[in-house]
Amino acid sequence: MTVVLFVQRVRPRVALVANARPTGRGTPTADRVTRELTHVFLQKKLLQKLVPGLMHVFIFWGFIVLLPTIAEAAVAILDKESSLPILGGASWFAFVSDIFASLVVVGVAMAFFIRKVLKPDRFRGSHMEEADRILLLILAIVVTLLLWNASRIALGIAEVPDWRPVTNLLSGLFGTGGGAEIAERVLVWAHLLVILGFLVILPGSKHLHIATAPANVWLAKDGPTGRLEPNRIDLEAPEEDIRFGVATQKDLSKKQMLDLFSCTECGRCQEACPAWATGKPLSPKLLIMDLRDRVVAEAAGEVELQPLVPNAVVDQVVWDCVTCGACVRECPVDIEHIDTIVDLRRNLVMAESRFPQEAAPMLRGVENQENPWGEPASARLDWAKDLDVRVLQEGDPAPEVLFWVGCAGAFDERAQKTTQSVARLLAAAGIDSAVLGPREKCTGDPARRMGHEYLFQMLAEQNVETLNGAGVTKIVASCAHCFNTLANEYPDYGGTYEVVHHTQLLSELIAAGRLQPRTGDGKITYHDACYLGRHNGEFDAPRDVIGSDIEEMPRNRERSFCCGAGGARMWMEEESPRINDTRFEEAAATGAETVATACPYCLVMLDDVAKGKGSDIRVVDVATLLAEQPRI
Amino acid sequence: MNVVVLTKWVPEPEGTPTLGDDGLLVREGADGALDPGDEYGLEAALQLVEAAGDGEITLLTMGPEVAHAALQRGLAMGAHKGVRVTDDSLRGADSLVTARVLAAAIGRQEFDLVVGGVESTDGYTGTVSAAIAELLGLPSLTFARKLEAADGSLKIERQTAAGYDVVTSPLPALVTVTAGATEPRYPSLKGVMAAKSKPVETLSVSDLGLSSDEVAATQTVAEVSDAPPKQGGETIEADDTTATRIADLLEEAKVI
Amino acid sequence: MKVWVWADVTPDGPAPSALELLTKARDLGDEVAAIALGPGAKASTVALGEHGAKTVYASDDEVFSKHLAQPTVHALAGLVEEHSPDLILFPASYDARDIAGRLQARTGSTLMANATDVLGPDKARTEILGGTKIVDVELKGPAPKLVLIRPQSFAADPSGGTAEVVEVKADVPDDLKKAERLERHEEEASGPRLEDAKVVVAGGRGLGGTDAFEQLEKLAAAIGNAAVGASRAAVDAGWVPYSFQIGQTGKTVKPEVYICAGISGALQHMVGMKGAKRIVAITKDPDAPILKIADLGVVGDLFKIVPALTEEIEKRRTGS
Repeated sequence: MTVVLFVQRVRPRVALVANARPTGRGTPTADRVTRELTHVFLQKKLLQKLVPGLMHVFIFWGFIVLLPTIAEAAVAILDKESSLPILGGASWFAFVSDIFASLVVVGVAMAFFIRKVLKPDRFRGSHMEEADRILLLILAIVVTLLLWNASRIALGIAEVPDWRPVTNLLSGLFGTGGGAEIAERVLVWAHLLVILGFLVILPGSKHLHIATAPANVWLAKDGPTGRLEPNRIDLEAPEEDIRFGVATQKDLSKKQMLDLFSCTECGRCQEACPAWATGKPLSPKLLIMDLRDRVVAEAAGEVELQPLVPNAVVDQVVWDCVTCGACVRECPVDIEHIDTIVDLRRNLVMAESRFPQEAAPMLRGVENQENPWGEPASARLDWAKDLDVRVLQEGDPAPEVLFWVGCAGAFDERAQKTTQSVARLLAAAGIDSAVLGPREKCTGDPARRMGHEYLFQMLAEQNVETLNGAGVTKIVASCAHCFNTLANEYPDYGGTYEVVHHTQLLSELIAAGRLQPRTGDGKITYHDACYLGRHNGEFDAPRDVIGSDIEEMPRNRERSFCCGAGGARMWMEEESPRINDTRFEEAAATGAETVATACPYCLVMLDDVAKGKGSDIRVVDVATLLAEQPRI
Repeated sequence: MNVVVLTKWVPEPEGTPTLGDDGLLVREGADGALDPGDEYGLEAALQLVEAAGDGEITLLTMGPEVAHAALQRGLAMGAHKGVRVTDDSLRGADSLVTARVLAAAIGRQEFDLVVGGVESTDGYTGTVSAAIAELLGLPSLTFARKLEAADGSLKIERQTAAGYDVVTSPLPALVTVTAGATEPRYPSLKGVMAAKSKPVETLSVSDLGLSSDEVAATQTVAEVSDAPPKQGGETIEADDTTATRIADLLEEAKVI
Repeated sequence: MKVWVWADVTPDGPAPSALELLTKARDLGDEVAAIALGPGAKASTVALGEHGAKTVYASDDEVFSKHLAQPTVHALAGLVEEHSPDLILFPASYDARDIAGRLQARTGSTLMANATDVLGPDKARTEILGGTKIVDVELKGPAPKLVLIRPQSFAADPSGGTAEVVEVKADVPDDLKKAERLERHEEEASGPRLEDAKVVVAGGRGLGGTDAFEQLEKLAAAIGNAAVGASRAAVDAGWVPYSFQIGQTGKTVKPEVYICAGISGALQHMVGMKGAKRIVAITKDPDAPILKIADLGVVGDLFKIVPALTEEIEKRRTGS
């Protein structure tokens, strides 16, 4: 009966996932196996927060260990003298299950302490009562189990009672007479009934994650999180065959659908989200919950099938995202919020042309002049006027390293300084390098993060043609966004190169003795760029280049807080309080005189605040810090 | 409401166009686009037709093969069909020839309104629309910074040197639209795709019933020379003469 | 040679452009006439005569201003047919551009816009490509040649003559009275829209607050046909609303002159104003990037320079 109910309730959800667009991510890879072990069994991402992590570890491992005891109870319903083969009489199992069952109780107590006493803000918007009910059910399952075992000890029918310290203690509650007999029967029935009740509630609750999370972790993206899945667009194909991102739930992929049913509403993403932290309506958690609720309601026929924006989430939520990846990194069940947000944007931009209008000049610029600012291609070398830089002409031999300058590096006056520094350092280290000059085009990153996949695709194809035609094998990029796109996304378009970020190359050159290490003084803090750090795992190279001690900000390395410019937010207006203001304050609070950056977006965003506040703090790229060394 | 929108393909709207040996702008082979100045008018037309609930927008342009791109852009923004007049005899066409050709092309269909930009980004003559209105015998509302259609008439705010005038006219009429009037939409990719299957008619001068005399240019470039370099790029320290210096520059620029 | 000048007139008198063009017309031909239609025409005839018009074809009839260009062109075309002028000079005003364009359609003659000089009955000069090239154009075809001339291409210089005033009949068919001017608004305070203004006065972070923007408003008002804008920094600081913002994520402006104060010239801002024909930058930072693209960069205290400039312009305007 319960099984029927469970199947009935879980089936629509299974169907939603099963019928969703294929992901092509099923095949086992080393990454998948490793993730399954670390994220699921070792609970690595949960333990990023120690106390809530331990809470979950207790409950999770408790239940893994207690699975056989469910069978034990089921058998005992029929025959109370029965026992499980192998495990039944094993003293070690008796001990382990006794301890783990107790730890579940501790876990539930911790959970209530966190929820009722600490009340972290990350739970804002989560279904608190539902969670309470589930926790109480868990408690009931384990308490009935413990008491049942205690009653069995009292009745003398339990095996290896000495190996059950907790239940042995509890057995004192029961006499040895008829009362204990009745208690034993009541408890075993209660235990099983609570478990069956739990099964019935499970499919409709966030606790479905116990079934979906392992699958979701399996289907997560291999490799750097900075890579977006291509949404190929062939304009010659019939329109109905072209997918323009995600409009309705019919366009969601299996992974995107499974994401919705994996969310535990823990709010770790919300807590890390720069948009939410600065008072914007976007919370990655609420986004997933709202999408889930809409998808379920539509599937149940309660509401009509409609575009998810604005019916599940409003437009602004979709545009607030800086694609910094903090949510994805925090998520214990590997939900990929960014991919879904970008897919929603793709539909708004390519199908509806509905987006913050101030971003239109960026799209026009990328489309017509191949850079977000609409500057003429002939100005791409303005930064190199006073430098001896080799410009790779068609037919020239390929350089050892191609220096990918990027649009910001070419046109923005502040970023130009970084570009010049990198060029000087490459020359000083004796690297055979060249730039593409006017032949370089925007990598397409801003268009892609904005949702204009087709524009990105065109630029990727054009740039790959140029790079392959020039025989380029190694690229150094001084923009974290260019770096990410070239390294992780161009392979999808036939461009596979060894791509390094300038801080990586510089730190190598220092280590190899080809550049003098920096020996500056003065207090420095370093701001991790999302697309170098969190999305691509490079935290040490820029720090190595800085050389001296760093006054770290509270949020650093993989937990760094975005500058506010990613996800094409560089070209959108932001209401106050702004993300860059918040980050700059954090940097200033370290007492540093210098904020070092490794990406032109971060440089511009943080420097804007410094200038706006009339602050004396200098915002500068690590390359410039190194190039300033008097010996170079 | 049926609207004809005048459009032009211009070379290098954001960059520096090149001048050919004949003193005319090089169009073939140049990177070009729909004149940004025309997008304001097209946007206004789209809004008027959307508000009216029905009607068609016809884009009209005159120019060589490359000008097709301008029509495609306008069609992607939402116009319904395009007409391109092209003829070897039209190379170097002056404002009168342009007006005659466009007026003849407009006259081939039913319309309520003709919409144009204030002036083109490359030629910036700014008189073609007025000449078209005269040729078609239409009242014209020029330099509109705000448009409103109601009951078979159009009311606009007309930009003036001192402010604006409120001006009205019954339809059919011609209107030119300033940059301050609208925020042109960015076409969706679906729009770009749909544009490919929208009808575009190509007409020659003889299709329009114009004689070769009527399309003969009345201006030729006699001489092109370099202007004396501007007093540019100068940075001065402020002193008592600064205000005079700036005021001189304003006078030189003929704005005071 | 008969050279005519179209005179924009208001009840306050002739526009300065009419006097400038008449001064030039005197050098070009012996039979110089002015056409002045609409309220204020008759009152303008004295000044027009003083600047060289021997004849002024005039009418004070309201029909010429109330119904925009069509009645005017009707009357003007009649005069052209009757008197066969060789050349008509027009100012590059909003009204005159419409009139010239329509007249061209009537006469089938050539029209040259944006002229900076008239070299003879059949030749005029213009500047193109941002003023880097001078082009001399030969004007062919039937008379009258029509030339629209940029303002202040010539200095007005009275020669002290008196004009014969010839009344122009205002018999305009109703068919030409469809367009109608309902209201006039002279926006001294708010001025033209940013995108349409001939001059843009913009302020940035260096202004330090809302009060300083009032200084810019005063300067814009003194210049006339000028609008006030701002950089993103000033908008972000909350000193002026977003509608003032010029730049990548704001408005794009292409005025004749762009005057900015307290703006360093971040790329985000520069892409919105680099199309300006002339750029004047006032900043206290000698390394500000804006100075690199400014035609005139001033390093100094904007709080002194802006009021001094406003005063200077007002002084020149009143001619004292």
